[in-house]
Order: sequence, then structure tokens, then C-alpha cells
Amino acid sequence: MNKSLDLQDMRKKAGEAVDNRVRIITAGLGLNELRAILRGDPPTEKPNPRYRVHTTSFLFHIRPRYYEKGATIFNHTFRLGFFTAFFFFVELFTGLILMIYYTPSPAEAYNSILNLLSNVPYGKLLRDIHRLGAEAMVIFTALHMLRTFLTGSYKKERSFTWLTGVLLLGITLVLSFSGYLLPWDQLAYWAVTIGTSMAEAAPLIGEQLNLIARGAPDIGAGGLLRFYLLHVVLLPLAAVLVISIHYYKVSREHGISLPAHLEEGDVPADVKKQAKQRIDFIPDLLTHEVFLTALGLFILLAATIFFGYGAPLENVANPQVTPLDTKAPWYFWWLQGMLKLGDKTLMGIILPTVLVVLLVGIPYIDRNPYRSLYKRPLAVGLGIFFVAVLVALSYMGLPQYGIETPAATRIIQDLAPEEGIGPLRSVPFDQLQTGVYEVGEEVPRDLCPNLDYGCPALTGVFRDFSERITYASTTEELENYQRLPNADAVMVIEDWQEGLKKVTLRISWDDPVSGKRQTYEKHYFVHRDRERG
Amino acid sequence: MSRVNIEITLGVLLVILAGVFVIVYGLQEEQRMEEFVNHQQAQAIEVGAELFDNNCSGCHGKQGEGVPGLCPPLNDRYFFDERVKEVGWSGSLEDYVVATVSSGRLNSTRPELYAGQGKPAMPAWSEDYAGPLREDQIRYIAAFVMNWESTAPDRGQAPVLAGPPVGTDITIELPEGDPVKGEALATAQACVGCHVNTATGPAWPPSAGVPGIGERAGTRFSQPDYTGTATSAEQYLFESIVQTNAFVVEGYPESLMPGNYSSALTAQDAADLIAYLLTIK
Repeated sequence: MNKSLDLQDMRKKAGEAVDNRVRIITAGLGLNELRAILRGDPPTEKPNPRYRVHTTSFLFHIRPRYYEKGATIFNHTFRLGFFTAFFFFVELFTGLILMIYYTPSPAEAYNSILNLLSNVPYGKLLRDIHRLGAEAMVIFTALHMLRTFLTGSYKKERSFTWLTGVLLLGITLVLSFSGYLLPWDQLAYWAVTIGTSMAEAAPLIGEQLNLIARGAPDIGAGGLLRFYLLHVVLLPLAAVLVISIHYYKVSREHGISLPAHLEEGDVPADVKKQAKQRIDFIPDLLTHEVFLTALGLFILLAATIFFGYGAPLENVANPQVTPLDTKAPWYFWWLQGMLKLGDKTLMGIILPTVLVVLLVGIPYIDRNPYRSLYKRPLAVGLGIFFVAVLVALSYMGLPQYGIETPAATRIIQDLAPEEGIGPLRSVPFDQLQTGVYEVGEEVPRDLCPNLDYGCPALTGVFRDFSERITYASTTEELENYQRLPNADAVMVIEDWQEGLKKVTLRISWDDPVSGKRQTYEKHYFVHRDRERG
Repeated sequence: MSRVNIEITLGVLLVILAGVFVIVYGLQEEQRMEEFVNHQQAQAIEVGAELFDNNCSGCHGKQGEGVPGLCPPLNDRYFFDERVKEVGWSGSLEDYVVATVSSGRLNSTRPELYAGQGKPAMPAWSEDYAGPLREDQIRYIAAFVMNWESTAPDRGQAPVLAGPPVGTDITIELPEGDPVKGEALATAQACVGCHVNTATGPAWPPSAGVPGIGERAGTRFSQPDYTGTATSAEQYLFESIVQTNAFVVEGYPESLMPGNYSSALTAQDAADLIAYLLTIK
């Protein structure tokens, strides 16, 4: 009787029971220990239960027990590897939700995107974040690699980690590129058509490779399904596997490299000793990771909601119409630039393969034992040179470089591009005053004197049109394809339907070579409610 | 405060802020989706206008005014108010347009008014039925056609002729023709739809060594395979317009050209057309 009323004993027993449950769930951390972690106190038991978690818990066994203090300095790693992984998880999460609304067939794919944008709350936000995450992942993978190269962290015991990193760069690029096709718009269709046509240039197996990638001589239902499965099954699985290997090497085997000057530099012994101090995963590294995750999510949301980052969507894919300015995604511009320089097989297949072999081989080619920037001038010089070449090649990949678009086509395309909005389509509907506007000696100050506020936007567009025609017509030093001798040009605006106008741009000129009269004409229909940017 | 504490505080703040972003964004979703639907509809009409211009205007007219005797007007009160009831269609007019454009029309529903261009009266346009357009493109065309609803004028039912119809006798004396009026008529009657804009019928303008219709008319009736009764270039053209099966140019099927021009043109109209055709050398 007396014994059962001993409240203190009951409390103690209940406390023990709860503590036991908690320990089972947290893989060994008791209530006192959890409190100590949150308060920033030292471990409450011996041996340190915060280390034990790393053997008892699956999720913690792949995490590091500690990193050396010197390796966690912000401007040594810039957290690039962390953020690459962070974006990968963002992609997994948003991608999974996007999959609910997506149908991988040419007849339905584009409609499913329209439905996502018009009928699914947060649908646009998810799509924007998925796209931003993908681009950020490419950027951070590349920067992470550059950082590893510059700090010489690929040497000796880390050479295998570097190899998995190169693999991950490849997986990231292909993941991003395979997702490019899925909206099935003009942008997607033609970028991927260019991309896969490169495979065709591979010697011997080119045609087969191309068939395997596209599922048919041209991209269609089969190609879309293949890219979809690559994007949502094969590549994510491969990425999870290789990321796990890559990360396990870092977290459980050799850790993050120390900055070169702390490892091999001429610094006092106590500084070196301090740099090797342990920063435990629980609580320091874990808190830091959770903080970085919150920061990353905040930045993603701010960029899409407040800074207007959005995933583009062009007109539905049309195999019959090749858009004028077709280009690959920006991270493949360098490849497009290379293709302009020479043979498809050499530039599209052989050189990129050599490049990959060189990247993989860096740890084995570079026998210089030092890691400091100053002790490896050749490697650093070559690295900087390589980045500069990539930038230059990327510029050459742009449609502005090395493609001779005839002047009339160029001028009209710049005013009213086939895709996107452009100056003409951003003119407010009310300013599109019906009339025939001829390009002549001088552009009037305002094209619509009968409107109270005039039509400054329309006048601006017409002035631009006028000036470019005059320039191409009167400047004789230009290349032949850029010239429009004796040009006549006109802009006609007609009422077409309720809320719909027809704009015609027409240019006639004498061909500089044959002397024949040529005419180029384009029609645009503009609706009152269309997006004006 | 230790670094851990600072990071926990800042992290919590960031998460709260991000949550606020998401809520504020969510409040505007209804409006954003509605706007997107409007933009989408506007773009559908724009694309539809272009497709209509390229594919349909040859027969149905640039402004959907139709061609008497050939194709019905679409920019027409009757079309919007009565057509669905007339044919007993159970769905909406827009669906009716989509269905008609997709599968075409084997026989005209009003052969005495709008005979169409032979058999079929209207070709199928959908890829599914061997036409050139995808389903979404046909939807865009329908969106464009439906946009006439608020302004469609009442065009009346039957084409009104300015005089008695010319008939099928090609030996009658025609009045003096005016080539300028003839050219306008060729557009209004949508002759150009098949003879200039597309290759449905023999092309009028000269091309690749073949002279224009004005020149061809002068030699055709003396060719050995000629089956008609004309004895001059004028009569040959006259016969081609009003007796369309008297002689069919090799490579084209019989009855491809509508056979009702003898009742849809006056003598003056026929003379103007012939005068115009003779100028195309």
C-alpha cells in the first residue's frame, strides 16, 4: 500500500519509461541529452551518445561524425556541394508533384502544362521552382567542381571522389536536358532535336544511337516517353546511387579537405592544431545544414515570387516549323559554339569525349603533390584558360554569332519574334491604330495625332523599324546579306475582328547580287487580352 | 549567443518568412489562373486567325463572308443563331465547328445554296482523317470563328443577283467585260482559292514554262483531246465557267469545280470574269 503511493518513485519510473521510448526513436539519445543538445551543453553521458547515433541510426550512419574546423571555413567550400545536393532534393520533391499532372504523350504533354498553369493552385510556382532548381543545380555542380579543382582537393585519397563527381556532372547535365523536352513546346522540341542530332555524328554507331534516343528517325511519341523515363526513373536512380557514393567518401572516409595553407603551408603548429579541432555533427553541423536548407528555400521562393524568375513556355511543338533562333539550353551553348567551328563528328563527339577523359584523368595526370594555388601555377593557369575558352565558345553558340540571317528577316524577327513577346506585341492594344505607315524620310513625332495621349509605344516600334531599314538601305559597307538597297517598307494595321488586329510588316528591296526586286512579308494577329510582358 | 543559437533563430525566421510568401502567393492564385486562361484564349484566337487566313479564307472569305454558291458565310448572324438548330446538332456551336473542320463534309447540307467544291463538299482538315492540321490547331480555328459572334452581321440567306442568271448556253452574245471588275469578282467568288492560292484546280498564273490561263484558252479548244464545243478563247472560258464538265483538263477529276455558276453569275459578271482571265498571259 505504502509503496504504491510513493509518488516520487512513480514519477521516476514514468520518466524512465518515457526516456526509454525516446531513446528507441532517437537511436540512443535520451531526454537529458536532447535538452543538452538544444541548449548547446556538452554531452551528458559517457561514451558520447552523439557519436553512438552514427552507428545505431541508418540516416545518421551516412552523415559525418565531425568535420575538421579548418575545413568548414565558409570561403573554403562556399557550401557549394551542400547546395548541389539541396537542389537535387528540391527537384525530387517538386518533380514528384509535377508528375501527378503530367502525361508523357505528344497529344497531351503540352495540354497538361497548360492545365497545370491554369487550373492547379501553386502549379506555376512548382514548375518555376523545378526549373530554377535544375538550373541552379547545374551552376552549383560546375562551381563545386571548379572549387575542388582550385583548392587541389582532388589529389591522392580523394581521386576516386573526383571521378564520381565528374560522373555526377554528367548525370546532372543529362537530367536537366532530358527534362527540357517534357513540356513539348517549340523550345523543347528543337533544342532536343539539335542535341540528339549530335549523337548521329558518332562514328559507326551514330545512326543507331540516334534511333535509340529518339525512338524513331524524328522525335515523337516514342522519343518523348524515352526522355520522360530517363528523366523520372533512370537518371534520378543513378544520381541517388552516385551521390551516395560521393557523399559517403567525403563524410565517412576522408572528410572535407583542409585549406591548403593549413595543411601544407608554413603556419605555426598551434594554428594547425586548431584547424584540426573537431566540429561535431550533433549539434553544430546539423543545425548549420538545417539553417542552410531554410535559407535555400527562402531564396528559391523569393526568386520565383518576387524577382520574377519563371519557366518559359513557347507554342506547342511543331515539327514542320523550325524557329529562326533555335538554341540549346545555356549550359550547352559551348557545344553549339564548337559545332559552328568545324566537323560534326570532330566537334560534337570526339572533342567532348577527349574533354571528359581529361576531366576524369586530372588526378592521375597532375602528379604535383602540392595543393596551394601558388605551388601549381601550370594547373591553375590551364584551369582559368579552360573556363575562358568555355565562356568564349558559349558566346559563339548564340544565334547572333556566325549565322547570316538576311536583313529583312532579322529586322522583322527582332520586332516581332516568332516566340515570346517582343516590341511589337508589347504595344498596348489601344495604340494599334488602324492605318498604313510607310517608312519614309522622317518618322513623325507621334503616329496617332488624333489620340489624346498619342501612341508612343507604337511610334517607338515604328521608329525602330524605320531606322533599321534606312540603315540597311543606305549603308554600303555592310555585308551583302545585311543590305537592303532601295528598300521600301510598310507597316499596315487593320481591324480584323472584335478585339483583334492584323499587323503586316512588308519590306521590298533590290537584291545586291542579282539586282532583282525581293519582298519579305509577315502577318501578326494581336488580341486585346494577350500577354504583353 | 552561440552560433548554433543564432542559426536556429535565423532559420526559424526564414521559415516563417517563406511561409508568409507562400500564403500571400496562394491568395493571388485564383486571379492568376483566371488571367492565364484569358491570355490563353487570346492567343488561341491569334493563332486561329493565322490558320484561318492560310487555310480557310480561300473558300470562306478573308473575313468569313463566305462565297455565294460555294461556301457559307461564318461571320454571319444566321450561323451563330440558327445553324446548330438547323442541322440538329446536340452540342455547342464551337464543338460543331471543330467537328466540321476536323472531318469535313462529304455532301453539302444546303446544295442549292452552297454546293461546296465538289466531292467532298469540304475536305477533312484533321490529321486523324488525312488532313493537314492537328487537333489543337482546329480548336484554335474554332476559337477564332467563335470570336465573330458579337459582331456578326445579318447577311441574309440567298445570294442576290443583279440581273437574270447567265445560263449554260455559251453561244449567246456577252456584253463588254471589265477586267478590273472581273478581278474583284474572282476574289469575291473565291475562284482564286483553288486557281491561284492552292493547286486544287489548274493554276491561272503562268508557271514553269506553262503560260497563263489567258494564253492557254486561245489554244485549248483546238487540241485533239478537247471535248467541248467552244470555237474561241472567250467561248472556251465561258464554257469552263458554266458547263464545268464539258471539258476537264487532264489530271483533274470531273465535277471538282462547282457546277452552279450558270445560276450564280449574271451575263455581265461572266463577261467581266472572262475579260480578266484573258489578261493573265
